[in-house]
Amino acid sequence: MYRLTGVTKRYTRGKETVEALRGVDLTIEDGDQLVIQGPTGGGKSTLLQMIGGLDRPSEGSVMLDDVDLARVSETKLTRLRAEKIGIIFQSFNLIPTLTAQENVETALVPLGIKPADRRERAAEALRSVGLGERLTHAPSELSGGQQQRVAIARALVKKPKVLLADEPTGNLDEGTRDDIMALLEGLWHEYGLTFIMVTHDSSIARRAPRLATIKAGQITLTEQGDARRYAQQAAGHDAQPQQAAEYGRQQYVQQQYGGGQGY
Amino acid sequence: MFGIYLKRELGRRKKAALVIALGLALGIALVITVNSVSAGMTQAQDKVLKSLYGLGTDMTVTKARTAPTSGSSGGPNFKFDAKSSSSSTQSSDRVQTQGGQALKSSLVTKVAAQKGVESAVGALSLNVTKVDGSFTQGKAKSTTGSSSSGSTSSGQGQPGGSNSSSGSGGAPQVQGGGANFNVNSYSVAGVDVAHQGLGPLSTMKISTGKTFTSAQTSAKVAVVSKSYAKQKKYKVGSTFKISGSKFTVIGIATPDSSESDTDVFVPLKVAQTLGDAKNQVTTIYVKATDSKQISTVKKEITANISGTTVTTSADLASTVSGSLSTASSLATSVGKWLSIAVLAAAFLVAALLTSSAVSRRVREFGTLKALGWPSRNVTRQVVGESMVNGLIGGALGIALGVGAAYAVTAISPKLTAQLGSTGGGGGAGGGPGGGGPGQQATQNTLEIALSAPVSLTTIGLAVGLAVTGGLIAGAMGGWRASRMRPADALRSVA
Repeated sequence: MYRLTGVTKRYTRGKETVEALRGVDLTIEDGDQLVIQGPTGGGKSTLLQMIGGLDRPSEGSVMLDDVDLARVSETKLTRLRAEKIGIIFQSFNLIPTLTAQENVETALVPLGIKPADRRERAAEALRSVGLGERLTHAPSELSGGQQQRVAIARALVKKPKVLLADEPTGNLDEGTRDDIMALLEGLWHEYGLTFIMVTHDSSIARRAPRLATIKAGQITLTEQGDARRYAQQAAGHDAQPQQAAEYGRQQYVQQQYGGGQGY
Repeated sequence: MFGIYLKRELGRRKKAALVIALGLALGIALVITVNSVSAGMTQAQDKVLKSLYGLGTDMTVTKARTAPTSGSSGGPNFKFDAKSSSSSTQSSDRVQTQGGQALKSSLVTKVAAQKGVESAVGALSLNVTKVDGSFTQGKAKSTTGSSSSGSTSSGQGQPGGSNSSSGSGGAPQVQGGGANFNVNSYSVAGVDVAHQGLGPLSTMKISTGKTFTSAQTSAKVAVVSKSYAKQKKYKVGSTFKISGSKFTVIGIATPDSSESDTDVFVPLKVAQTLGDAKNQVTTIYVKATDSKQISTVKKEITANISGTTVTTSADLASTVSGSLSTASSLATSVGKWLSIAVLAAAFLVAALLTSSAVSRRVREFGTLKALGWPSRNVTRQVVGESMVNGLIGGALGIALGVGAAYAVTAISPKLTAQLGSTGGGGGAGGGPGGGGPGQQATQNTLEIALSAPVSLTTIGLAVGLAVTGGLIAGAMGGWRASRMRPADALRSVA
């Protein structure tokens, strides 16, 4: 569980000091889905950085379970990111020289997993996002949607507790966006993740069970419904969590291969 | 993952990697070339010094130069009687100790007894000047046509020339007469036959025949240098005369370093008789017990034996001049600084390019950090890539440098070395091959073919420099990469 208390983040640019976050208080339960929305420069990405342990607040605390990410040592914070937090970026941030499988493996390197196990787990993760036949492809040989799937596999291969997504559909067309969202929502349920996503896309934000709107560094929370029910709605039928994830995958497979193919 | 990632990244930035590697290669090649040429210079200087000293000789002791006494002519004096017939030839030779200054033989024992001296051997260097030819009387003619005989001074005029005495008409004039003669000068070294391992013959290798036996202290036998034997067409068993004494050639010797100026070697005692220098030597060759204590031994000898000049190889090296000296100075000064400058520039370029490459990979490294890669892993990746660049540069540099050194050796440019001293009979001039008697400055000009040997140490140095270059560049890039924050992975796309 996340508990943010009085989180303030200031940046100094020359003589000017900018407050990106102003005393943010926020609690996110395990397994919750939270969408963060707001205008450009409002503090969305800054909040995501604090939650992901990518940066530290100027004031306040960011508790993940019993660890304060604001004060824990750099070594422990790095280790915590490696073990518990999966991150998906808007621009996919894949290493251009590595294959899809090797890109996914990079998430397992800091965990000290043996190369053979790494390769097997990476291949399995790619199969789970429908890219079982694209293991040896370089990012440049994949479409935007496929690249984001590789990024999703990389985020999930280590079986994290938390999945953070920074505008994961920002660089995708509408059709691919829906596929990716369906996949993410399905996986969220399948893995029981805490899923926190920043988006500009109002249609995605509207579907989220909890919406955090940030303006000028201050947060406003809106409860939009039960997360599990939302996922079931997304699946389009009265499905269980596993079925919701399956729905996302099937939708992707149908679009990519015209149906009938496994993954 | 480290190896795969490294290989792919280097493959992606081939051009940048090549620029870094070539920069380092240039610097390393220059270092190898300069080092090899310097080693060649040192070898050439050693050759020059050995030609004067001999293997195992650490220093020489010669008589300290004294001012020439008034009235001493310095040069050999010849007297010939002019004959009436030009077909009558005369011959005369003069033997003089080289430098005209000698030490008592007893000093050899005294030097050998000094602290730090392992052994000391005396040698006598002689210069033999032989003049032979015809010396013809001129004929005095008066203006009235009468003639009377007159004598010419030895060696004056040319055959058929005229020596006229100025005077008013009617005085007799000397016409005709003159001299037609050859001057042959060569050097003779008196060798202590009981201790041939130290002294002038130690630089020579007997190619034909044999050397002296320890019993031949008074034998009229000689070892001649190969070049002199060729010039005079001497073979083992040939005989020749020095100052009227007949000598038999028992061996032909080739100098180890091809730069020996001694033509004839005879037993020391015989040389002393020839040079009218009984119980005298011109040079005492000294071997120290410890080659690191040479300067101490020099001080010891100088302090305890007055009237002598002690010359070490270091002293002798300082007297080397000519193109060898100039080239050596160039190699050690200009070459060294040029190498340092090029290397520093190469290191700087490598560091800047690596740093710049890291800056372009902010998102990549930020992403890896966001994924939980510790800074040391990211740094290791950057340093690893730089090290490979450095090693590629090192390999290229070694190939280039060895090629350049090989080219220098193949071309073998000729360098001249002039060894001279201003001390009469002392220093380099005191050794065999020194200048003639009475010279104020003695000088030897030797020609040496330059080679550029590449030693394992030089290759080791090149590898070390390649690793250093890679480390410097990697350290700079790695430092920048380690300072990147994982948030940069997000910020770069914001």
